[in-house]
Amino acid sequence: MMRNQEMGKPLPGISEENKPFWDYMKQHEFRVQKCLGCGKLFYPPSMMCPHCQYMESEWVKLSGKAKVYSFIIVHQARHPAFAKEVPYVVAIIETEEGIRYTTNIIGCKPEEVYVDMPVDIVYEDVNDKRTLPKFKPVS
Amino acid sequence: MDLGDFRNKAAIVGVGYTKEQGTVPGRSALSFAQEAAKAAIEDAGLKKDDIDGLLIQPTIGQQSYSVAAKLGLNNLKLLANEDVMGATAPCITAHAMFAVVTGQANYVLCLYGTASKSGSFSGMMMGGGGAMPPGPAYGVFGANMEYGLAARRAMYEYNTGPETWAEIAMSQRKWANLNPRATFYDRPMSKEDYLAEPWVAEPFRRADCCLVSDGGRAYIVTSAERAKDLKEPPVYIAGVGQSHHTPDIEQSHHMTGPTGAKASGEMALKMADIKLSDIDACEIYDCFTYTVEVTMQSYGFFQPGEGYDFFKDGRTGPGGEFPVNTSGGLLSEVYYMGFTPLTEGVMQLRGQCGERQVENLNHILVSGNGGILQTHGTVILRRQQ
Repeated sequence: MMRNQEMGKPLPGISEENKPFWDYMKQHEFRVQKCLGCGKLFYPPSMMCPHCQYMESEWVKLSGKAKVYSFIIVHQARHPAFAKEVPYVVAIIETEEGIRYTTNIIGCKPEEVYVDMPVDIVYEDVNDKRTLPKFKPVS
Repeated sequence: MDLGDFRNKAAIVGVGYTKEQGTVPGRSALSFAQEAAKAAIEDAGLKKDDIDGLLIQPTIGQQSYSVAAKLGLNNLKLLANEDVMGATAPCITAHAMFAVVTGQANYVLCLYGTASKSGSFSGMMMGGGGAMPPGPAYGVFGANMEYGLAARRAMYEYNTGPETWAEIAMSQRKWANLNPRATFYDRPMSKEDYLAEPWVAEPFRRADCCLVSDGGRAYIVTSAERAKDLKEPPVYIAGVGQSHHTPDIEQSHHMTGPTGAKASGEMALKMADIKLSDIDACEIYDCFTYTVEVTMQSYGFFQPGEGYDFFKDGRTGPGGEFPVNTSGGLLSEVYYMGFTPLTEGVMQLRGQCGERQVENLNHILVSGNGGILQTHGTVILRRQQ
């Protein structure tokens, strides 16, 4: 699904570290690294586990179920591509596996969002190469 | 050797302001740094060639050696760019202290100049190289949004919010109303004015966010012995501390405190050999109102959720029981990173703050905080050696 409102927004850059994350996302899979040393999950993508400094990991799939950890309501557009979207919600979500991710909460009014609100992942295909994970209230 | 061996062995002996500050179009960051450096050297009663150490907090693209060249400093024994964002001033003060006490250098100039308001400003929180982070794709631009996330979480975990932050913002504005250099010198702010301020990143209103400013600030550190022979009263460095919790806000487990202020403050108090109750006033790095609350809470001035009672009724404002951010701070005076609170602490202990001067001061605690609560430095300044 191409969404017009995504036009002109900055897209996350691709690096050696994060390329698998965005490749899986394109397939609508939310995967993060699991350290093969200590077994812990971690994000953002890195060659080294931040918990134990082990250098090997595998990419494991998350359920997409999460809760709002914190959020703000943005009232002033700091980039022209967001001018039609204010007010919008930026949130840090925490997945049930304990991974934090910064995203938007969509599919409800900003004033309806609260800390601990249960949310589900929504895959937004920005173009034929890129998909952004966002979150909506559990229906 | 112990950190305590350095207690009161170094002093800050010169402070340099730029004549104009706030909105000053048509000038480079370097020109403000030059002006502030010259003013600090004059204030100390030194000559240019006395300066044998230079530590700068660089603005984007600045290099210490080219700044030194443009100041005509050719005989340096200590030279560096040092940058931990808002914590830089306390951290370079510690570096300068070690240098002058151990004899590496005699007079270390600490310097910052910026044209952030009117010059070309390359969005300081935009990553600084490497791949574009995901944040901007979701409309995350700048520190106000990231600190807003921390502040909202604090509202969930304990009793805080705009009622508390209004008290902080209003008290600092009252200090600014007594400071002719302050951007908001002639702009009082009532509770109604605060509540009428536009939302920036709810729960933050504009009045919760620091200024963006042009100008510069500098100070000179020397040994306690050399300090006695100089023009102005020395202000001694009684204690220094640092503690850096580096994860970014998304992965942060300290966004509601205790921040690096806790360990940093304990280190500085131990070195100074005093208790928190010996602190007479604070100059707290106040990029946002919430930063003042979570920093002072982390230092141990009050328990989580007790911030409102600590700040209410002008308790930290002019004439209040416990003065905080007596120049107006980054919220209401001017935004020169950690140089704003640090130099104000020095001038208060020198007793040269005019209408806003606080009486009977001996110890002032100065904080610096950088990134999104990711770096922290503390300096305890002292009037009597």
